[in-house]
Parts: sequence; structure tokens; C-alpha cells
Amino acid sequence: MKKTKWWGLLAAGMMTLALAACGGNESAGSKSSGSNSGSSASNYPTKPITIVAPSGAGGGWDLTARAITKVLDETGLVKQTMTVENKPGGGGAVFMAVYATQDVKNDYKLFVNSPPIIINNLKKEGNSPFGYKDTTPLAQLTKDFGAIVVKADSKFQTLTQLLDAIKQDPKSVTVAGGSAPGSMDHLVAILPIYKSGIDPKSVKYVSYDGGGEAMAALLGGNADVIATDAFSVGEYLKAGKVRVLAVSAPERLGGVLKDVPTLKELGIDAEFTIWRGVFGPKEMSSEAKAFWEETLKKLSEHEKWKEELQKQGWEAEYRNSEEFTKFLQEQEQQVGDLLKSLGMHK
Amino acid sequence: MDTLSFLFDGFQTALQPHNLLFAFIGVLIGTAVGVLPGIGPMSGVALLIPVTASMTSGLSPEQAAASSIILLAGVYYGAMYGGSTTSILLNTPGESSSVVTTLDGYQMARQGRAGAALAIAAIGSFVAGIVSLIGLVLLAEPLSNVALKFGPAEYFSLMLLGLAAVSGLAGKSMTKAWIMTVFGLLLSTIGLDNVSGVARFTYNISYLYGGLEFLTVAVGLFALGEVFKSILHNEMNSGEIAKIGRVLPTKADLKESAGPIARGSLLGFFIGVLPGAGATLASFFSYILEKKVSKHPEKFGQGTIAGVAAPESANNGASGGAMIPLLTLGIPGSGTTAILMGALIMYNVQPGPLLFDEHPAVAWGLIASMFIGNVMLLILNMPLVKVFAKIIQTPTKYLLPLIIAISVFGVYAVQVTTFDVFLLLAFGLLGYWLAEHDYPLAPLVLGLVLGPMIENNMRRALTASNGDYLVFFEKPISLVLLVIAFLWIAVPFVMKLRGKSVVINEDM
Repeated sequence: MKKTKWWGLLAAGMMTLALAACGGNESAGSKSSGSNSGSSASNYPTKPITIVAPSGAGGGWDLTARAITKVLDETGLVKQTMTVENKPGGGGAVFMAVYATQDVKNDYKLFVNSPPIIINNLKKEGNSPFGYKDTTPLAQLTKDFGAIVVKADSKFQTLTQLLDAIKQDPKSVTVAGGSAPGSMDHLVAILPIYKSGIDPKSVKYVSYDGGGEAMAALLGGNADVIATDAFSVGEYLKAGKVRVLAVSAPERLGGVLKDVPTLKELGIDAEFTIWRGVFGPKEMSSEAKAFWEETLKKLSEHEKWKEELQKQGWEAEYRNSEEFTKFLQEQEQQVGDLLKSLGMHK
Repeated sequence: MDTLSFLFDGFQTALQPHNLLFAFIGVLIGTAVGVLPGIGPMSGVALLIPVTASMTSGLSPEQAAASSIILLAGVYYGAMYGGSTTSILLNTPGESSSVVTTLDGYQMARQGRAGAALAIAAIGSFVAGIVSLIGLVLLAEPLSNVALKFGPAEYFSLMLLGLAAVSGLAGKSMTKAWIMTVFGLLLSTIGLDNVSGVARFTYNISYLYGGLEFLTVAVGLFALGEVFKSILHNEMNSGEIAKIGRVLPTKADLKESAGPIARGSLLGFFIGVLPGAGATLASFFSYILEKKVSKHPEKFGQGTIAGVAAPESANNGASGGAMIPLLTLGIPGSGTTAILMGALIMYNVQPGPLLFDEHPAVAWGLIASMFIGNVMLLILNMPLVKVFAKIIQTPTKYLLPLIIAISVFGVYAVQVTTFDVFLLLAFGLLGYWLAEHDYPLAPLVLGLVLGPMIENNMRRALTASNGDYLVFFEKPISLVLLVIAFLWIAVPFVMKLRGKSVVINEDM
């Protein structure tokens, strides 16, 4: 009697393990098939291609990956089937850990990322041991910028007034953002403060779960100023709910943001681009790299892509593999400086 | 009366044949998404966005926007209807918001009342859907302002009230319930701390950076725990299959559920309005509230119909409430509404303060279609009850492997890592062991949900107030919530001291 019980449990356990193993095999399969292809592919691509969004469905990376595959497919720029795979976890770190070790030569797996690939690699806490140097940057496709935003009835009319207030008494100003300290929103908020000579560690920063909640805190009077991405505040600005004090762009933006000064205009030598780009594996074959460089360039110039960007409310900015890599080096320098000033560098 | 004429226009949009069709497809897919574990409403909506885009490509931009959002919103609230099915039948919550439903729903199913449980879940969802829509039409503007006033201090006090009320989830022993709550809170500290950015208990394992996934833990504890129990207790060959009694609820059932449904709908709606609180919390709170006001609190957990009616109404009410900050402020209250917002933006319709002025057809068409969609869901779900209720008649030897398969598939589909599958197994074993020793599982799960919210909001409030704890007492809403939390714990004790016979959970 007793024996049967345990057999039953064992059987159930085995089943679950078997199912778990199926999941494992799947990725193992695609990995091995990927590495074979390097030698034979004279007319890359010969197999279906996967683009990974290292986040759950619906986030910025996911939307970008889906937009890219959709347009590449509709325009016939890529003839092979393309699928988007979501690999959530650790702000992309979970995916990177696997990709940078097991997919090093897999020409058929690309991924989408943005500044966190640099930030996560440099910061002390929640560090991702792999960064952009463990990949082949293929192209930058879009850009956004940081914005420093206050409520419409705020006493701060200009960034200078805000910075003066922080300088006098850092405790008097609550700065909020949509992500934890050491992540993108925090760095955007800290950048002008750091560059104007205030100790960034003294700033009172409150983190919320996402830009939406941070905006709610601002509108509800629970934060004095927030840092967020520039193109998401347009609607609030139009409705007269907020005032944008500055954007981190190199030159003035258009549309509703045309009256907003850049940090440089305000005498603060800083800019921060929230870019999104496509990456391949570190040891990508030269054929595959050449194919993607050309294809992504064509994509960036295609009407359909421009339409898609407009639909999503994104701004185009194209950099080819070489320019992109150089740009990433500069970004790494800047992010590293910021994190050091905060004592958050690894 | 402006509102009514706008609503009338909205119905004209929503009643166009193609929009009726879109609403129907939406709620149909939504029901399926809700029933199938693994595809939550969030991924369901996200995956359908490109599909709807091509379906509506022939229409003018404004019409296309209205039609697609009608379909996608249908998936969203349809999933709330369907989410209870596996909770009730298989003790396997498909969505986090239907975890509480397992407590009484599964017990009802075991007693052969699966039909009544499923039916009352559908009826409760319907009533809540309509109530929250009426709230949305009438109170959108004032409520959106209240939601904004709800700052970190208020959230903290609300969550504290939730913790104080955890006694409502206790089984035989209060002490064990508190142990489980604290255990849940401890587990919730795993991951990157959102306030300081410091990694806690992650041991440099990147899988743990985001913390333990709530659904993995809940499915492991409830579903797999139950499977292990069935196997070890040899219920496999007992051959005793609960007979389905009548499929529809009796008059007594309906009478018993009326109060819980009404309270659950309202509570769900108001909690749903608060960004970040969401349907999961609403379902927990309404369950606890029902147990508190019920004349027979001892019946909760044993398969009482109020324990199904309340949380199922609440989670649907919350999904209606969550539309308010989304539409009027452009602030998504949950992951799914964030994706709906993304879909609207794709059609150049920006949700936010200007939505009702700039795109009245889209906004009011959506609201009107939700009325219609809820009616469709009720009609769709009642016959399905009969079909689903049959699942319970499956012999255990087939049912148990099925539950294991669904659990593993569901967890893997959400997290896409084998790490979570092993975590699921571990929590299954833990769930079995805890249940064997009479430790209640629901407080653990509640602790896991409340932990990050309570901690983050407390620290946000304290950061903003420069460390002054008075901030929790100076804000009126926060103060009221704290007083209720205090009374919740204190009153039963005081009454007992005065020699009155009150049921404190300790005695149960």
C-alpha cells in the first residue's frame, strides 16, 4: 500500500521533470542548429530567424521587436519567417546570461535592447555580467530623450530655479521616476544635477513602478519633479497639466516640445539619448553581419517603417553597426561617470 | 445630461454590426484566455494587437481605433470571467486575481457544486461589470482626482489594513496564519529592491532579480500541493467522483450571494481605480470583508458560495475601475491596461486628459461596447458552465496528470524559464507539507502580494517626508485607514475581555 503511494508521487514527479526537460530541449535545439549554420550559409538566411525581446509582452522592447519583424516581413526585406520571442527576467540580465554564453555563434537569433544593456552591466547591484561588448551591435533604429517635468502650477518655472532649490536644501525637493535607483529614469534625473555640481547622492529620489505611476505621483502632488521620457509627456503638456523644464536632447525637439529648452541651452553640458537598437551574437559570421547591416539600413529608409514609427510615436535615428558601436562606447563612459558619482558603479 | 447623449452616441458606434462582431470575438477569445492557464490577459491582449491591426485595416483611422480597442478590451474583461474556471475546477489559478477563488470554489467543486460555483462566478462578474461601468460613466472625472490624491502614505495604510485583516484567511489557528503571512512577506523581499536598487537574497542569480513570480508560487502551493496530497493519500483509486448536482445555482444560493456580489462589485471598482493596486488585491479584500460580515464565518474555506461570489465580482469590478485612470489620465493601473494604452497610441489616440474631447467616438464607443460585451459574456458563459462542470467528473487518474501538465505549461508560458518550473515543483512540495500541518496557504500568498507594495510605499512616503512618521497620520485618508486597521484587530479582543461571546478566529 505504502509503496504504491510513493510510486505515484515518483511518477508525477517524473512527468513534471519530463515536461520541464521539453522546455529545455527546445532552446538547446535552436542553439545547436544555429551553430552549424555558420559554415554552410552562403546565402544567409536559410532558416527562420528569431528576434528576442528580453522582457515580457507589451513593453518597449517587445513593441520594437514586433514592429521590426512586421515591417521586414511585409516589405519582403527578409524572406524567411521571423518570430518574436519574449525572455523576461532581471531587466534583460536573464536573457543576456544565456545568450552571451550559449548563442555566441547563432546567426539566427538577434535581440533588441536600449541603454539598460550598458547600465545593468556597469552597476553594482543587480549586475548583469554581460554587456554590449559580448554582442555585435547591428544598428540603432530609434531615439527618445529624457525630460525633467513639473506640475503646471509648480513654483519652479525654470530648471535653474529647480537646481537652485535643490542646491540650497536637497531635502525640500522630491524627485521621482519610474524605476529604481541606478536605472534609466534615475540617471536622467541625476544628470543635470550632477553636471551642475550638486552632490547627486544628496538628492531625494523616490522610485515608482513605471513612468505612469510616476506621472500619477506628480499630478497628485506626491512628487515635485519627475524624470521620464520626452515623447510620453506630450499629451499632458497639451492638456496644460504639466510643464517641461528641459529635455536631454542635443537640439530642440519639434511638436509640442518645441518651446522646451535643451540642457545645453541652459548651460549644462549634458545630453542623454534613450536609444533602441538591434544586436547580434558576439561571433556572428561576417555574412550574417553584412546581411543585417544592409537589411536594417534599408528598413530604416523604408516608407512602411516610417509609417510604423509614426504610429508608435517613436523618432527615427539610424546608426550603422560601426557608428552604433562607437556611440555605445561614449554612452558607456557617460553612464559609468554617473554611476561612479552616485557610488553605484560596480 | 451631456453624458447620456454621449453615451447614446457611443451605443450607436458600438451597435454597428462590425463592432458587435469585434466585441463578440474579443470576449470569446478573452474567455479562452481566462480559462487557459499560461496565457494571461496581458500576453493575450499583447499578442492580438497586430492581428486586430490587420483586421481593421480597411476602416478609417477613427473607426479602426474604436473597433480594435473594443475587441482588445473584450479580451481584457472576458479573461476576468474565464479566470475562475480552473481555480474552481482544478484548484489551479490561471490569473493572480483568481487565487482567492480557489479557497471556496474548489471545495464547492469537490462537493459536487461546481456548476453553482461557476454560474455564480459568471453572474457576479456580470453584475460587477455593469456596476463598474455605471461608475465609470458617472464618476470618472471626480474619481480620477481622488485616485491621484492617493499617495504613498495612503497606499501604505491601505496595505496595512490588508495585513491586519489577514485573520480573515486563517484556518484553525491564528498563530499559524500570522506565521504564513510573515513568511510571505519575507519571500517578497527577494529581488532587486525598487527603492534603493540594492539586490537582496539574489546570490547573483539573475533569475531572482525580479523576485519570485507570484503565479508560480500560487500555482505550486495550491495546484501541485493538492496533487501531491491526492497521490499520497491515495485518493487516486477511491473511485468516488463528486456528482454534479444541478448546474444552476438554487434560489438560496442566489439569495446568499446577492450581498457579497454587491459589496464585491463596489469594493472591486474602487480599488481598481487606484493605479497599482489592482484586481488581485480587490479579490483578497472582498473575500476578507465577506468573511468578516458573514453570519457564518466558519463556513468560509469549506465551500461557501459567498466565498466565490465576492472575489469574482471584485476582480471584474476592478477591471472596470482600472479603465478610469487609463482613459481620463492616461495612467495605466495594471500591466494589461498599459498594453491597452499602447494599442490606443498605435492608432494615434492618446488616452489622457484630452481623450474624451478629442476622440469621443472611441472613448464612448468603448464604454458602450463594454455594456454589450458584458451581456454577451453572461450569455456565453452560462451554457459553458455545463460543459466545464463535466471536467470534474474526469477520473482522478486522468485529472491529476492533467493538472500537473497545465500547471507546468502555464508557468513556463509566462516565465519562459525552466528555473520557474523547478520553483513550481519546490512550492508544490512546500504547499503539500504546509497543508498537511494545517498551515493556511492564502496568508502566504497575500503576504507575497502585499510585501513589495507595503514596503515600497512606506519608504516612498518616508523619503518624501524626510523620515517623519507623522506623515501617515497627517493625511486624512491614511489616518482613517489606519484607524480601521487598528479597530479590526482591537475590537474582537476588547469584546472578549468584556465577557461577550465573540468568535475570535483562535477558537475556531
